[in-house]
Amino acid sequence: MTDYWPWWAGAIGLALVTIAYSLAADRSFGVSGAWDRVLHWRTERDLERRRARDEVERRALVDALAGAGSGPPAGPHAPVPEPPPRPASLVSQAALLVSILVGGFVAATVSGRFDLRLDMGAGFADIVTADPLTMVVVLFVGGVLVGFGTRLAGGCSSGHGLHGCGRLYPVSLVATAVFFGTAVVVSFLLWKVV
Amino acid sequence: MRTQGGILFANIGAGLALGFVVTSIGFGDFAELNRMFTFQDLRMFLAFAGAVAIIVAVFAIAGVRRTPTRIHAGVVPGAALFGVGWAISGGCPAIPIIQVGSGYLPALVSIAGIVVGIRLCRRVTTRLRIDTGSCGV
Repeated sequence: MTDYWPWWAGAIGLALVTIAYSLAADRSFGVSGAWDRVLHWRTERDLERRRARDEVERRALVDALAGAGSGPPAGPHAPVPEPPPRPASLVSQAALLVSILVGGFVAATVSGRFDLRLDMGAGFADIVTADPLTMVVVLFVGGVLVGFGTRLAGGCSSGHGLHGCGRLYPVSLVATAVFFGTAVVVSFLLWKVV
Repeated sequence: MRTQGGILFANIGAGLALGFVVTSIGFGDFAELNRMFTFQDLRMFLAFAGAVAIIVAVFAIAGVRRTPTRIHAGVVPGAALFGVGWAISGGCPAIPIIQVGSGYLPALVSIAGIVVGIRLCRRVTTRLRIDTGSCGV
């Protein structure tokens, strides 16, 4: 089993992923948003179809104006607005989540760390609980808080923490300070009190 | 690359890379995570902060445009709930996925919780008309 990466290698790796994705796809990199769209696929599929129809109508309008030789419309006619960037498709978002699983599996296997197990490791057993039933309850409640909280906050550690802070967005700086701060307080309570 | 096919390709590449990097740093290891949050070991904290510093510098040098954002009503309570959940379960929305990829089968329970939490959030915020904003995803 190899050691975990040193901090500088991790920093370069996380930065490269975020920057490359932002420049290639021209959008923020966020995992909770992908979860949200995949889990509400019916609503999102209807939205995708509506956007596609709107785009067809917009192009038809642009073509009609160009065919009339009107050039840029003047007077009471407003220019046809450019549509906002379309969000990544549902398939792309689902592919992101599956790819994360594959990437994690490859890293664990290559480092010799892959181990099928029914617990969360010695650290979880020491710091939180070693009781299997309590572990299941804690993981489920923790998951609900993560899912609810990240969507209420509009992003998670990748969207707000990496991409948003990297762009110095005030909303992301506030969100990251709050979730890191809260996690620090709760982790100290788990370590020292519980 | 901004076509839907290009974005699909970018998502697959980014997902593979993120899963590999996050697992190799140790974010899927609860003990490492607790040591980061209690400042016993700053390695993972420095990896995160260092990444942010690199991203700030690269985008500033490249002169990439910024999207206007605003601090909406859900930011502080949502982030606080997320922080509690992350500390007790060891997972943010990506980490239970890589934990399963590393063989930690109970992380499937965290994923089930995330599914319930996300669906619950949309239902509650739609019903109460709470603004959840977006980090631009």
